[in-house]
Amino acid sequence: MEFIGAGLAALGVIGPALGIGVLTGMSTAAIGRNPDAAGQIRGVFIIGAAFAEGLGVLAVVVGILAIVLQPAAK
Amino acid sequence: MEAERDASVETAATEKARASRRRRNILVGAIVANVVVIALALVILGPGQQPFNFPADAIKANIENLAPHVVVDLDPSNPPPPGQIIYFHPSISSSLLTMWIVMAIAVVLVIASTRRRREIPGPFQNFIEFVFESLGSFGESIGGKKARAFMPLFATLFVFIILSNWSGLVPPVGKVPSLRAPTSDVNITIGLALVSFATFHFSGVRYLGVRGYFGKFFNFGAFRGGVGAGLIALFVGLVEFFLEFVKPITLAMRLFGNIFGGELALGVITALTVAVIPVALYGLEVFVGFVQALIFSVLTLMFTLLAIESHEEEHHDTPGFDVPEGAIGPTVMSMEAPAHATSAMGGH
Repeated sequence: MEFIGAGLAALGVIGPALGIGVLTGMSTAAIGRNPDAAGQIRGVFIIGAAFAEGLGVLAVVVGILAIVLQPAAK
Repeated sequence: MEAERDASVETAATEKARASRRRRNILVGAIVANVVVIALALVILGPGQQPFNFPADAIKANIENLAPHVVVDLDPSNPPPPGQIIYFHPSISSSLLTMWIVMAIAVVLVIASTRRRREIPGPFQNFIEFVFESLGSFGESIGGKKARAFMPLFATLFVFIILSNWSGLVPPVGKVPSLRAPTSDVNITIGLALVSFATFHFSGVRYLGVRGYFGKFFNFGAFRGGVGAGLIALFVGLVEFFLEFVKPITLAMRLFGNIFGGELALGVITALTVAVIPVALYGLEVFVGFVQALIFSVLTLMFTLLAIESHEEEHHDTPGFDVPEGAIGPTVMSMEAPAHATSAMGGH
């Protein structure tokens, strides 16, 4: 049962995946329009990607806790 | 003329062929060395006595537990309650031991690089100077002159975290019980995040004063503009206040999750495939370790700069402060940007 829960928690990675996809597409378009600002856009992109990824990592941590915490709850 | 060109083309071709042959030789040598090491391990250690289920047992042997292994138990008469995750028990864990080793390496590196400084730096001093200068200019590009006071913390966090992340990729670390990458342990990342958390608020109080700093969150002055505006400002300030406590949690969990998840993935791939394939993932982990160290230290710097900035300054001009406004990303700051706007409407 806890493995099903962990798998469901891992579904939370979908959101950050969409976010990082949008972010990458947008920043690629921005660099294409304005190649001079590539360095600045890259910095913003990495930090934004880290924010989106942080939420995905939270989902994975919840999944790990769902497996590991099970003996303590019993 | 023609012959000369032909000759040069020919030498280029043979040069290329020789280079590719050399590369192929290195690859073949690496594979052979791998097979020899595996065979040696089988001969020395022998096959296990128990029946070996291929995926499950291999994965189990290659991954790390959530809780770090205890190397030295400082209070053996009082064992922690079994099956519990959060408890207080004094002991030296594997991640703590590795953290001390990493710290010793960093200190020795810096001392050795600054002992005999020369006008014309050698390669080693040159490298350290390059790291120092690029960190300094990066921090300044984020925060301008204000950031200079926090550069030591920023650079220390970056160097420590990147060495910790990469220490997990050096083979014996993480594979033997008494060594483990420090940042793959949630206790150490929470400790680092608490250092950052304390820095935000102490520096905020130091720069703005107790009234000025907490006035950012509980803005009673907004009631002068009417009860509605005051209530809105109060609510927004409350949301901002609770977001302050989310910051260290996300900082700690982002670092821990990325590094621990990376090591799990590396272990699983190592268990499931043959020796050459995990190298790609290894390269990815090197990059992730760098990015996560940068993210942690940059976010600490940015949140500190946000904490020491007062409301009045924000609406007039902040020269050299344009990057963090846009750079700070969607999750936390999108809540705070309207917050400043509303409270400003009430206050002014």
